[in-house]
Amino acid sequence: MTLLPEQIGDLLGLSGLPAEIIGGLIGATIIGSIILANAALAGPWAKRKITAAFTDRISVNKFGPWGVGIIIPDAVRLLSKELIVPEGVDRPAWDLAPLIIASSALLGFAVIPMGSLGPIEFHLADPEIGLIFVFAIASIASLGLVMAGYASNNKYSLMGGLRAVAQNLAYEIPLILVGISVVIFAGSLQMSEIVAAQAQTLVELGPVDIPMWFAILNPFAFVLFLAANVAEVGRNPFDIPEAPTEIVAGYQTEYSSVYFVLFYLGEFVHIFLGGALIATIFLGGPAGPILPGFVWFLIKIWAVFLLTQWMRSALPRVRIDQLIEIGWKGLLVGAFLNLFLTAGIVGVLAI
Amino acid sequence: MSLEQPHQLDVGETPEGELDYDALADLLGESVIDREEHINCEAFVIRPDDVARALSTLREEAGFDHLSCVTAQEYRDRYESIYHLKKYDDPTQELSLVVPTTRENPASQSGASVFDTANWHEREAYDLVGIEYDDHPDLRRILLPETWQGYPLSLDYNQDKPQIVPLREHVNPMETRNKGADDSDTMFLNIGPHHPATHGVLHLRTVLDGEQVVDVDPDIGYLHRCEEQMCQQSTYRHQIMPYPDRWDYISAGILNEWAYARAAEDLADLDVPEYAQVIRTMSAEMCRIAAHLLAVGTFALDIYGDFTAIFMYAITDRERIENLLEDLTGQRLMFNYLRLGGVAWDLPEPRDRYFEKVREFTDQFPDRLEEYHNLLTNNELFQMRVIDTGILPPEEAKRYGCTGPVLRGSGVDYDLRRDDPYGYYDELEWDVITDDGCDNFARARVRLEEMRQSIRIIEQCVDLLEEWPEDDRQIQSNVPRTLKPDSDTEIYRAVEGAKGELGIYIRSDGTDKPARFKIRSPAFCNLQSLEVMAEGEYVPDMVAALGSLDIVLGEVDR
Repeated sequence: MTLLPEQIGDLLGLSGLPAEIIGGLIGATIIGSIILANAALAGPWAKRKITAAFTDRISVNKFGPWGVGIIIPDAVRLLSKELIVPEGVDRPAWDLAPLIIASSALLGFAVIPMGSLGPIEFHLADPEIGLIFVFAIASIASLGLVMAGYASNNKYSLMGGLRAVAQNLAYEIPLILVGISVVIFAGSLQMSEIVAAQAQTLVELGPVDIPMWFAILNPFAFVLFLAANVAEVGRNPFDIPEAPTEIVAGYQTEYSSVYFVLFYLGEFVHIFLGGALIATIFLGGPAGPILPGFVWFLIKIWAVFLLTQWMRSALPRVRIDQLIEIGWKGLLVGAFLNLFLTAGIVGVLAI
Repeated sequence: MSLEQPHQLDVGETPEGELDYDALADLLGESVIDREEHINCEAFVIRPDDVARALSTLREEAGFDHLSCVTAQEYRDRYESIYHLKKYDDPTQELSLVVPTTRENPASQSGASVFDTANWHEREAYDLVGIEYDDHPDLRRILLPETWQGYPLSLDYNQDKPQIVPLREHVNPMETRNKGADDSDTMFLNIGPHHPATHGVLHLRTVLDGEQVVDVDPDIGYLHRCEEQMCQQSTYRHQIMPYPDRWDYISAGILNEWAYARAAEDLADLDVPEYAQVIRTMSAEMCRIAAHLLAVGTFALDIYGDFTAIFMYAITDRERIENLLEDLTGQRLMFNYLRLGGVAWDLPEPRDRYFEKVREFTDQFPDRLEEYHNLLTNNELFQMRVIDTGILPPEEAKRYGCTGPVLRGSGVDYDLRRDDPYGYYDELEWDVITDDGCDNFARARVRLEEMRQSIRIIEQCVDLLEEWPEDDRQIQSNVPRTLKPDSDTEIYRAVEGAKGELGIYIRSDGTDKPARFKIRSPAFCNLQSLEVMAEGEYVPDMVAALGSLDIVLGEVDR
């Protein structure tokens, strides 16, 4: 398997360091554009359509097929708003926060194997510490939230920032612990290895081979990871850092125009990154019958997106103290139990 | 009230459930200077320095535990505060305390030490009329800005002179009250007037300790539109009726109109044909369903945090009932449908088609109600959020003058439709819903179940209307073109509005316009109890409590 930068390097007839740099840049641009296109589709259009379907409404339907064209006027609208800089904001930090949030989520996709479409392999890099890299990068977003909350010089933002920290502490640890259980299965932190480990056949049911996806092998871990991931990306019922009816919009209260778009974008990319992680470490990555791997990968991350929107329409937000309780007393204990469980399963399979 | 429990007679109560005003006057002894006759009850004129004692004697010994309203007004020779007292057990037993003060020194004793609800009522009286209350815990303006000059409802106030209140006068809201900030590590936070969860322009001055509410002080008046004064400048017969629609403007219009209609009809001694009463009852209950749907929808919105399924479902159902009301009244929100002595016009033709539409709605609504129960009250996450939060004990609720679903959610069985019957309610089969939970959950559940009772009432009304003989369909009685009630008659009448007891006080001076028109707004009184519910709770629970109070700022501020 050749990674995308190498393929581009080969295509351009380059070799050595120039191939890595130029191939890497072009490859990153391609991957980034794909993710951004998904986020653009999700934010102004899919989110509206999905919520409308859950609430018996029609939503956007005038411009383009199924109203998809709304993306263009929406983008123009968002970008043409005035950028209001409130008095007393902590300037470099205030400006950096949206950039950090948007870019940290995008960075995570560098190591995600997104499957192939024809000869093209959508996978930028495959370091041996792939999984740790994703967790680390995704957590940088918390830093952005705190910066935004603190630098905005607004009490609601401050509360939102503090809530974000408390929430991320409560959820990152179970999230990573569950991730470690996957590493025990796969025996590697490398993303390609994790995907490969899931390609084996678990059982054969007649003509159908059930693959050894970790979601099938250990549904308990899958559920834990799903729950922790919802909190990690801050969606209902865990959208506490923004909680519009309580603290207006939390850390993003004072942001407008392009900065708001960056926050908004960061959120959606973050949801997709969460989906990509779930797909990669629990749902066999890009694996799937008939359709190309890349399409399967998109289907899986959109399924996770759909799940978040479904919860958003149906579940009440829990209170911050309840969330901390769920995190530390529920999920963390569950995550440790899951480690034992996984060790047991691995032991049985080894026999 | 009920026959099963032997009712201990209060002082001044006869075995027939009537009031013996002589006994009450004896109870108060020397405090009573004089006695007056109001249309709804007798009034005792009380010495201005003896108000608290008189109120507490009446509450402790005569059972008057409900201070429904405090009306303030200015005469040529004196100021007057009227304390309208009732009993939660039997609101037909009423007593008014009239407290006169001189024009030179308009000060009387405050009743806030006995009834907490008097706090806000007296602040409003101070704000609009200019009466000062001694021993009041917090006497400052409530509806108008702190810097306002003069008292708008006093006789010598120049109403033509505009007053401009610049922002800089109010730029630092910390200046006023900020208790607890000195000795502990707290944060002052302005929630509102522009905030997603305040249901309008409500401003909560909040002191937080971390996420916990230490102190909350609602600042109201942003939507004050001088409704009382506008009514005082309008004629009884035609001009006042459109205003009530604008108090609780969230589709409770006919309920509000009925409050005015009831007070004015009793004041001028007008009859209402039975047929019109049935139509009134039906349309009022439709309004109640619409109002409760919005209340439940926005409450869910506060808990869920987005315009999600329940809110949209509630709005969808509310649309259906708005359509029915539109067919009936020609309007969707500002109905202006009731008239003194009846209603504006008969049911829409063809009547069968209308009955069919109403039945279609009432038949399918119980199923929808089940869906709301599934989404809300049976939802474990929702229960986790709202059960045992925003506690309002029944005794506190009474002291704060709470009424409506808020009071019934605290387990007090009080509903004017049954206890002080008007319209056609006493002829119909329905139940008063109460819940002993005293929390946010109980209040939401009471509203949901009340809608089921409203459906029952509507169904019975439709049956009645369908079989009503064609030659007896009188929609209005004969009302003089210019209505001039007798001079110096006073009345205080209340109906069960969507949020609770909506009372109107009218004093006539013999002209075709009221000399004093006072609105007792249920949301105003209920909102004051927020401090009981919120203090010590987390911010999200305070928001939930506010949602469960179901305030409409149009009614709070008037």
